[in-house]
Amino acid sequence: MSDHGLTTTLERPAPTKANPLRAGLATDRITDPCTIVFFGASGDLAKRMLLPAMYNLRVSDVLPTNFGIIGFSRSERSNDDYRADVKRAIDEFSRTGEARDPLWSDFAKRVSYISGSFDDVEAFKRLKTQLEENDEQLGTAGNRLYYLSTPPTVFATIVQQLQAVGLGPKDVGRGWSRVVVEKPFGTDLESARELQAVVSRVFDEGSVYRIDHYLGKEPVQDIMALRFANVIFEPIWNRRYIDSVQITAAETLGVEGRGGYYESAGALRDMIQNHVMNLLALVSMEPPVSASADSIRDEKFKVLSALRPIPPDAVDKVTARGQYGPGLIAGQPVVGYREEPGVDPNSNTETYAAVKFLIDNWRWAGVPFYVRSGKRLSRKNSEIAIRFLQLPHRLFGETGDQIDHNTLVMKIQPEEGVSIRFNAKVPGPKMHIRSVSMDFNYGSGFGVTTAPAYERLIADAMRGDATLFTRWDAVQRAWQAISPILDRWTSNPPIEEFPNYLAGSQGPLSADSMLVAEGRSWRKL
Amino acid sequence: MSGPVSVTHLDGILAELQRARVALSSGEIGIAPSVATLNFIVFIDDPARRDWVRERALLVAEKHPSRLILLDACDASGGANVRISARQTTGSTVVSERVELAVGGLDAEALTSLTQELSVHDIPTVLWWTATKLLESRRFCALIAQANHFLVDSSGADRDEAVLRELAQFLQRYDGISLHDLAWMRLAPWQDMIAQFFDEPALSDELRAITSLEIASGSAAEALYLAGWLASALSWRAESPYSFRTNIGRHVTFTRAHEGERRRVVRVTLATDVSRFVAELSADDHVVGLSVEGPKARAPWFVPLQNVENTTLIERAILAGATDEIFKTALQATRDLLT
Repeated sequence: MSDHGLTTTLERPAPTKANPLRAGLATDRITDPCTIVFFGASGDLAKRMLLPAMYNLRVSDVLPTNFGIIGFSRSERSNDDYRADVKRAIDEFSRTGEARDPLWSDFAKRVSYISGSFDDVEAFKRLKTQLEENDEQLGTAGNRLYYLSTPPTVFATIVQQLQAVGLGPKDVGRGWSRVVVEKPFGTDLESARELQAVVSRVFDEGSVYRIDHYLGKEPVQDIMALRFANVIFEPIWNRRYIDSVQITAAETLGVEGRGGYYESAGALRDMIQNHVMNLLALVSMEPPVSASADSIRDEKFKVLSALRPIPPDAVDKVTARGQYGPGLIAGQPVVGYREEPGVDPNSNTETYAAVKFLIDNWRWAGVPFYVRSGKRLSRKNSEIAIRFLQLPHRLFGETGDQIDHNTLVMKIQPEEGVSIRFNAKVPGPKMHIRSVSMDFNYGSGFGVTTAPAYERLIADAMRGDATLFTRWDAVQRAWQAISPILDRWTSNPPIEEFPNYLAGSQGPLSADSMLVAEGRSWRKL
Repeated sequence: MSGPVSVTHLDGILAELQRARVALSSGEIGIAPSVATLNFIVFIDDPARRDWVRERALLVAEKHPSRLILLDACDASGGANVRISARQTTGSTVVSERVELAVGGLDAEALTSLTQELSVHDIPTVLWWTATKLLESRRFCALIAQANHFLVDSSGADRDEAVLRELAQFLQRYDGISLHDLAWMRLAPWQDMIAQFFDEPALSDELRAITSLEIASGSAAEALYLAGWLASALSWRAESPYSFRTNIGRHVTFTRAHEGERRRVVRVTLATDVSRFVAELSADDHVVGLSVEGPKARAPWFVPLQNVENTTLIERAILAGATDEIFKTALQATRDLLT
């Protein structure tokens, strides 16, 4: 035992499984054999992200020894047709380049396809047969991961069909069954609860993996490291030193052909309720007692529970909404939201949302959390900015020098890193003060590129590690937090007539006004 | 090597560094190159490997924001070359500072003084030692005192066994310095493949019944490390360089065969009284075939062999931090096997 109570030992770490050779291996292989079923197998997400991710997990030798992939979708095609589609998706979108033999041949023979609609019980019976064949022929041992990469409207139907044909976790009799659910989980609090009721009848909470791909990004995981692997930040991470927090998720993209979906979603449901609320929880939660999934998720739930409910009559004061009109992105003209395919020409769906949240607990009382997300803004930028309080007493600086607030910025995308803004003396005989920046950039700091979030998250779900997935209680709290806004925005037309910001701009003026009224301003995108 | 300044002219080297910084920051890139996150000291004394080591050291240094201090003991000219380069990647610029020194004529004390002065303070220092002798080298002992991380490749030399013994001693002597052996790191895929045999519950019991272990490899370190790893994981005690005793008293024979290229494992065979587990490299070097023979036979299956380039291994070692605990126990078991 060392002086500091830390044990120094040469004993091997305990193996995680019955196989003692697995203890502490440098490779990050998934040991449980399993079949992964992609519902919505012909969709854009599967093609661009999920199938390339699976292949890259194979290339990195992370997949289990015995695995199978089943695509499930409406369109008619044979196993061989689907394999050809999978290969095209890999060739086009895989970060490791085109699929190559001998790996591809081995991968392809593990891929099969079931054609059918999600309400077709016969198709699910065929799925069951294929899963059983996989168990027999590929040795997948009854372990199944069902990935719902479909529109949210069919989540409940799929789960019910799985149960109807005896594919629920309790029916299989051996192995494990897990379900990965893409966001959004429900379209409001009520529908989320209804969906949860269906899901929980079939899968216990430990088997439900609500995916938010933001949480698989390295800089998002680094929020925890920054806060809890350093002693210098925690003492000032509270209302005594922090003036306000700004969370931004800005995109230059429009709805990219998803006008139909976006019409029923909007920025509040599409981004704020999930991505942004997850970021807010990570930056504001108390230190977890351990790094286990439930310890972290307990703290996220607690801080989301401390969000001050927004009274219906205060919604207009603490929120801003917007919709982009025609404008320029990177010098190129783009159409307005109402001119996008699949969008109602009189749509009042918001493509920009800003909200001020307050957290009623000892750490954060009185500190505003301003969050915003929008499409077709001037720059792609996701970040969390912690703005510290102004100096209590001005000692330095010539008259006219502006002494800025210190700001800590956690950059999520496209830049990945951390920067701290502080004040320094300008060289010269006078005591001029100017704000300077100290930057850490993941690329420059580590010189490594990280795997896409979906690779990490699919592998975690196969391993049974739910740390980076959202638990139902947090989903519910997030819906509760935005419900008053949804209600108000659904039942009342926007105060400013839509469209109210130009594509390629910083967003609507009403969002600026919201902060100006409190003596603050948004960070420039 | 000849440079604009001499290794004995420290101020001149530092001035060159400063000049290179200014030139870079006022050039096209226009950046302030002051973001080194590690000192990377590389020592070379083998002319045959000089270019190979230098090339890899430069690749690693260019990818990581670092100050590379390359000590070339093959060259006694006393010259020094200083260079700072910036590499643009997506969304970031990696700046590396490089100081190449011809130190063939310098003794341990002079080397210590030089590297101390040239290292950036308060950041980790990695020493990549490529010379054959370790603890008996005064220059090694001088340089290791400045390092936080020690990088070595015990494989492929003609004295693998001696190096492994020295590494075991190193662990005992230098508790606070992390040790990374590229030879061990190269074995990660093989360890995983051997473990795969016993993931299935039906086969995991066979682990306790192993009676023989055969490893064919192109150099000794790989075979010894794999044997040491299995011994430490399965609580086998070395009885001789060719046998172990399990914790239930069973005898396990160990056979090494010299086969294939240096630094490559060709085949690992584990056997019980009734079963054989074979992992064998294919002719094209890219795939390993795994098979189980006997009453619990399995259809052969194939696993991609991730032949990781040495540069990548070095990067992994730099990013890894502390010494791998499994490596420590395996190295101790390997030492016991050699004793």
